[in-house]
Amino acid sequence: MFKYLLRRLILSIPVLIAITIIIFLLIELAPGDIVDYYMSSEGQMTQEAVEQLRARFGLDQPLPVRYLNWLGKVLQGDLGFRFVDGRPVGPLILQRLNATALLIGSALIIGILIGVPLGVFTALRQYSFWDFTFTGLSFLGISMPAFIAGIFGLYIFAIQLRWFPSGGMRPVDRTPTFFDSLYYLILPASILSLQYIAQYMRYTRFSMLEVLRSDYVTTARAKGLPERRIIWRHIVRNAILPVVTVIGFSIPGLVVGAVFTETIFSWPGMGTLYLDAVQGRDVPLLMGMNLVIAVAVLLANLATDLAYAVVDPRIRYD
Amino acid sequence: MQKRIGIFLLVVLVASLSFGTLQAQDAGENVLIGAFDVGPGGAPQVRPYMDTAGRTWLAKIWSTLVSWNEDSTALTPQLATEWTPNEDATLWTIKLREGVLWHDGEPMTAEDVKFSLELAYHPDAATTFPSFSQLTADQFVGGAEYLAGEADEIAGIRVVDDTTLEFEFVQPNPRLPFSLLFVWVLPEHALADLNPADYQTTDWFHTVAIGTGPFMHDEFEADQFWALVPNPNYWNGKPLLDRLINRYFRDATAAVLALESGDIHFTYVTADVALRMQDNPNFVLYSGPSGVTNYLIFNYRNPAFADVRVRQAFLYAIDRQAIAEAVYDGTVELVPCISALPALHPPAEELNDYAYNPDLARQLLEEAGWDSSQTYEVHTYYTDQQSLDALAAMQQFLAEVGVNVQPVTVDVPTYNSYFYSGEGWDLSYRGVGATLVYPYQFYMTGGYDVTSGDTLMGPAFPELEAILQEAQSEIDEERFVELLQDACAYQNQNALEGYMWTSIRFGVASDDLENFYWFPAQGGGPYEDHPELWSVGGND
Repeated sequence: MFKYLLRRLILSIPVLIAITIIIFLLIELAPGDIVDYYMSSEGQMTQEAVEQLRARFGLDQPLPVRYLNWLGKVLQGDLGFRFVDGRPVGPLILQRLNATALLIGSALIIGILIGVPLGVFTALRQYSFWDFTFTGLSFLGISMPAFIAGIFGLYIFAIQLRWFPSGGMRPVDRTPTFFDSLYYLILPASILSLQYIAQYMRYTRFSMLEVLRSDYVTTARAKGLPERRIIWRHIVRNAILPVVTVIGFSIPGLVVGAVFTETIFSWPGMGTLYLDAVQGRDVPLLMGMNLVIAVAVLLANLATDLAYAVVDPRIRYD
Repeated sequence: MQKRIGIFLLVVLVASLSFGTLQAQDAGENVLIGAFDVGPGGAPQVRPYMDTAGRTWLAKIWSTLVSWNEDSTALTPQLATEWTPNEDATLWTIKLREGVLWHDGEPMTAEDVKFSLELAYHPDAATTFPSFSQLTADQFVGGAEYLAGEADEIAGIRVVDDTTLEFEFVQPNPRLPFSLLFVWVLPEHALADLNPADYQTTDWFHTVAIGTGPFMHDEFEADQFWALVPNPNYWNGKPLLDRLINRYFRDATAAVLALESGDIHFTYVTADVALRMQDNPNFVLYSGPSGVTNYLIFNYRNPAFADVRVRQAFLYAIDRQAIAEAVYDGTVELVPCISALPALHPPAEELNDYAYNPDLARQLLEEAGWDSSQTYEVHTYYTDQQSLDALAAMQQFLAEVGVNVQPVTVDVPTYNSYFYSGEGWDLSYRGVGATLVYPYQFYMTGGYDVTSGDTLMGPAFPELEAILQEAQSEIDEERFVELLQDACAYQNQNALEGYMWTSIRFGVASDDLENFYWFPAQGGGPYEDHPELWSVGGND
């Protein structure tokens, strides 16, 4: 197992380097750079001024030199400085990662806690009033764009009812407490969780219905087992495995962020940071974020593979 | 067990709800929270000398030598109280306000001004100040030597005494006062050890941030807010507020929702929101001319647009008044030339009003041999719905006379990479801050072209260039304005560009505020808004 883990980790290094080279080339291929971002009709950018600014950002050097400079610094643990406002990239990403993990993590947990039981509930009452109601609502949850749900949520709960703040992560006029943080988190996390609830509910329902019709359930019933035991031991347990896989797919969101929800709720997460980085052609920030995301995805894949061995006794990594 | 967990979660929810609400109500201080960096004049978290916009907020902490008056029609003293030229405007004497103290109690002197300018001009600092102020180092005597590293200081920036400076220029510089709008004064005693190469990465501007402005740095949470406390030593009197807070929003809609929910007291709003909120008694609407002209610019490198009849046909074909009323609800005014300032427009009899006349447009196009089978892309960086609707209407009007255009929206760096190179575009719909000092460089040979040294649009315009050059060196203000009116007439008659309109911009504040003032100045000013008099709680 340890050998396997080590081998996978070593193999990840060239993959990571290849990813960073591709991203670096893609940024280079996009028209415009940080100096174009700064150009303005209200200024007077002479050729000299433009060159001076390009040199300041190191853009006057050839592409391979720039890449190697970046790589060299990364190996020393330095992700460089953001072009647009000169802030160090490493701490900035860390700060945004915390915010994103908190928001999306909470939404995921709400999604699992509500979506999975709802799926079980509706599957056991197929074609009932409740089944139609929740299945219908789940369509709404899946198809409603995040920014519409966000604006509706804000309008009702922040403007009309004034139960929750209209955005941000913390109060700006005092030191935040645990309750403050929770108060700011509830609305965006709940709105974001709608899509997770709908998604997990539908997968759980579907998976439950599959299992409900399987022979071993019929056998269990024929044996005269109590219904409660059939449901929880035989149906739910087996039906939940594909749902776990679907939940696993949502995990990278913890690092990537949710652009629309972050924008509407002024939540300083990874999604909006990435968008800003692209719009500003902020090479150090883009590279830093892609590196972090790539590492997270590689580690998540590795963890999933390892989890298979734990879940399924037939799989062994020797 | 499940019940207990449920009850626990419910208690936490109710507790956080009530706690959050109570805390917000208990604050009780005189705290004004605004979204000062939302909208075109805002630029969150910028630092002085990198301020392409965002000056409304920066001016709360630091001060410039001069500022605009409250409606951006005239310059008014800030840290400089007088600015006097010699006869040919090659030597300016700047008198500073006496008794101004830094936030840490140290006196501000003329040495600080010299230090600030030399820091802003330092090649390693690579600030955007020289381009934005249109006051480059080499205009000063000794500036070229400083840039070349042959001198440690700029000889033409001289400290006469603690409150007097002299600026000596190689050429006459009659428009210097407009450049002084961009000169932020920074404390030499706090920044003397800063390596200019670290100017753009130092966190000093968000952690220490010593200035001479009405408010002092208190707490900065990146991407969330910046909180200030009053400066007891402010030269115009200690501010009344206990705290002034700028909240950062990535999206103007989110800021409007925050305003409507009572979480903030002020934000910039778009025209449609302003029209919706104007009758709501809980809010006060602020408005003013944007000073920005929206127009179609033709790339003359494409011979199709080199013919004046074609350009005039564009103007006759588009019913600008109809778009102003239908799309913008009357919140824009038509312009006859690039200038957005009515004072720079010559009398109506010298101007062609290009009233909607599709028949004349067709006739002009026919005379010019226009090829109707061609489709031209119109590049724009505007993404707001009104601009896109206006573009769609323009596309429709032009199609009716046989001109096929296709609007294409791109992001700012992409747009600029094409636009300022002069290559890769034919038509562009854009906005430009168009006042006394710019964008006249667009029409000067080598004025803003970064590739070929032509004018931005391609050919030279010798007649216009002569007028503008004379204006640049004209010392007499009245004659200066007359010359700019001549330039306007030339642009209008030659349909140099497709001049459309200048918009009115809006801000909305809670009616709780007292003595609050906001104006949509370009780049955020700085302008006179007397924040020392602002207060909250007038309507409780």
